[in-house]
Amino acid sequence: MTKILLRDRLDDCITRWHAAGFEVIGPVSKNNISQFAAIEKADELDLGAILPGRTLKDLFFPQTEPMFRYRIGKQQIDTEEYLPPERQRIVFGARPCDASAMAIDDPLFGWDYKDSYWFRRRNETVIVTIACTAADEFCMCTSLKLAPDSTLGSDILLRPLEGNRGWLVEELSQRGSEALSRIEALLEKEAAKPLPPADVPVKFDLEACREWLQNPENFESHFWKEISMRCIGCGTCTFLCPTCHCFDFQDEGDTYTGIRRKNWDSCSFALFTMHTSGHNPRSTQSARWRQRIMHKFNYFPGKFSLNSCSGCGRCTRECPVDMGITETLQEITKLSK
Amino acid sequence: MSIQEQYRKRAAELLASGEVKIIIGYGAGSTPDRRRALFIRSAEDAGLLQVDQACDANLSGYLVSEGLLSDRKKVGIFLRPEGIRSVNILAAESQLDPLQIVILGFSDENGSLTPLQGSSVSDFSALISTLKERRSTPEEQELVEKIEGMTPEERFAFWQAEFAKCIKCYACRQVCPMCYCKRCIVDNNQPQWVQTSSHTLGNFEWNLVRAFHLSGRCVECGGCDRACPVNIPLRLINRRMAQEVLEAFDYFSGMSHTQEPVLASFKKDDPETFIL
Repeated sequence: MTKILLRDRLDDCITRWHAAGFEVIGPVSKNNISQFAAIEKADELDLGAILPGRTLKDLFFPQTEPMFRYRIGKQQIDTEEYLPPERQRIVFGARPCDASAMAIDDPLFGWDYKDSYWFRRRNETVIVTIACTAADEFCMCTSLKLAPDSTLGSDILLRPLEGNRGWLVEELSQRGSEALSRIEALLEKEAAKPLPPADVPVKFDLEACREWLQNPENFESHFWKEISMRCIGCGTCTFLCPTCHCFDFQDEGDTYTGIRRKNWDSCSFALFTMHTSGHNPRSTQSARWRQRIMHKFNYFPGKFSLNSCSGCGRCTRECPVDMGITETLQEITKLSK
Repeated sequence: MSIQEQYRKRAAELLASGEVKIIIGYGAGSTPDRRRALFIRSAEDAGLLQVDQACDANLSGYLVSEGLLSDRKKVGIFLRPEGIRSVNILAAESQLDPLQIVILGFSDENGSLTPLQGSSVSDFSALISTLKERRSTPEEQELVEKIEGMTPEERFAFWQAEFAKCIKCYACRQVCPMCYCKRCIVDNNQPQWVQTSSHTLGNFEWNLVRAFHLSGRCVECGGCDRACPVNIPLRLINRRMAQEVLEAFDYFSGMSHTQEPVLASFKKDDPETFIL
């Protein structure tokens, strides 16, 4: 017997989770964009899309957030720290690639310094993922050795049942079990067969790419100039990437008082590596694109044994000039043959 | 001969004869309905060029890529009429020498693609004059009228909700041929003139700064609108500014490569309605 969550019980689940003190968040389409937002009722959810436009990282690593308020006095500097509230949250309806991306970033945010902004939110959030039964031409999770029903990063995995009637429930973590215990009475027990996961073709050879990237001779290859010639240097691919995690500090205020904020930054921007002297070690767009690929598929796996990509495909899907990781790694696969 | 065949042949001739060193055109994209910028340097590659309705990007921004024109050699480029206007403005603003640009022009007339006669910017003056008279499609007009019909409060709320989505990826700036500054005002960080945070104030600052900088310069190619990954209807802002400039100064941007930039020139009979 397996546990089943029926779609028409979702409102009752949300009510129970609210009563237990959880904030319930899910993909919501509003103003021509879908993103994760707090919901009151199930009908606010947009669960039909292949993927929300915005990623799950928004909930753990917002694009801008205050860190502390400062006041510079004659004798001393007073600071008042801002930390995200420790509020229990349930994210309902993440996709496996987005959930995996959070697990991919965990070692990064906890490596030498444990980032309390990230982990306070991570520790208080239950991620309920819905396996994909459909994919589009940009999806590439299988090329990253993940799958449309990967469990990485999820606390509960739901597998859709036929006829849109609900989901088969898989508990994956202690946090997930606790969240399920609140709605135990609403779950059915029956021997149901879920819909098969989406068919996502493998688009490139990850190992061959890694090997090519590791070869120092290829660092100065003309390939980088060719492949990035049409790159316009915007931050679309990095900001809509669920694993990209670079940030910048900005002080907003006057000389004596203000707020220090942590804002997303992008290796695609010329300013990202600009020195105070005016010298820029990554002075061309090809050097910046190379850095992005090297970081994701060479440096990051070298350090954490994980690729910094979960195959969501947003980089290609949203690129204004139709570039993206897929094309680059497909070309590298060809070169390494 | 289809327009695509015609232009592949022309591109091959231009490259084979050495008249141009490179052609900036469109090639196949990652899906059947996508086209992407393609840079070809040899006549043999002309067969990779695509010319069809899906070729909607304004490629003129690539002309000001660092170093491209510095050897004084000619460059061929596929442009729609808006792109030709962009080249005029870039020339008028001393960003390029129009004699270096060989245009392979095409326009979309009621769903069918037509080649444009001529290859130098000045060959298209008559065509551009006609564009001044017919600026918008009915769908665009409907949206404009909807926003114009709002009260100031409603309009502010509309744009607040739209700008709230902005993630400061600067795709609108990067894709825009008019945003060629080596260092944008928002990237001036000593001091930081414009806040980089994508909170309400920061997003308003950015989008309004861009709107003002494009007044009298935007050709309404729609590139920013298509590029925006969070679907902010940016075209509407620039269209409104273009309308203001047209009404106040009878100025339509990109008419010729000698047209003076409207906000950088002065005429004795300029309206001074802002002086009370």
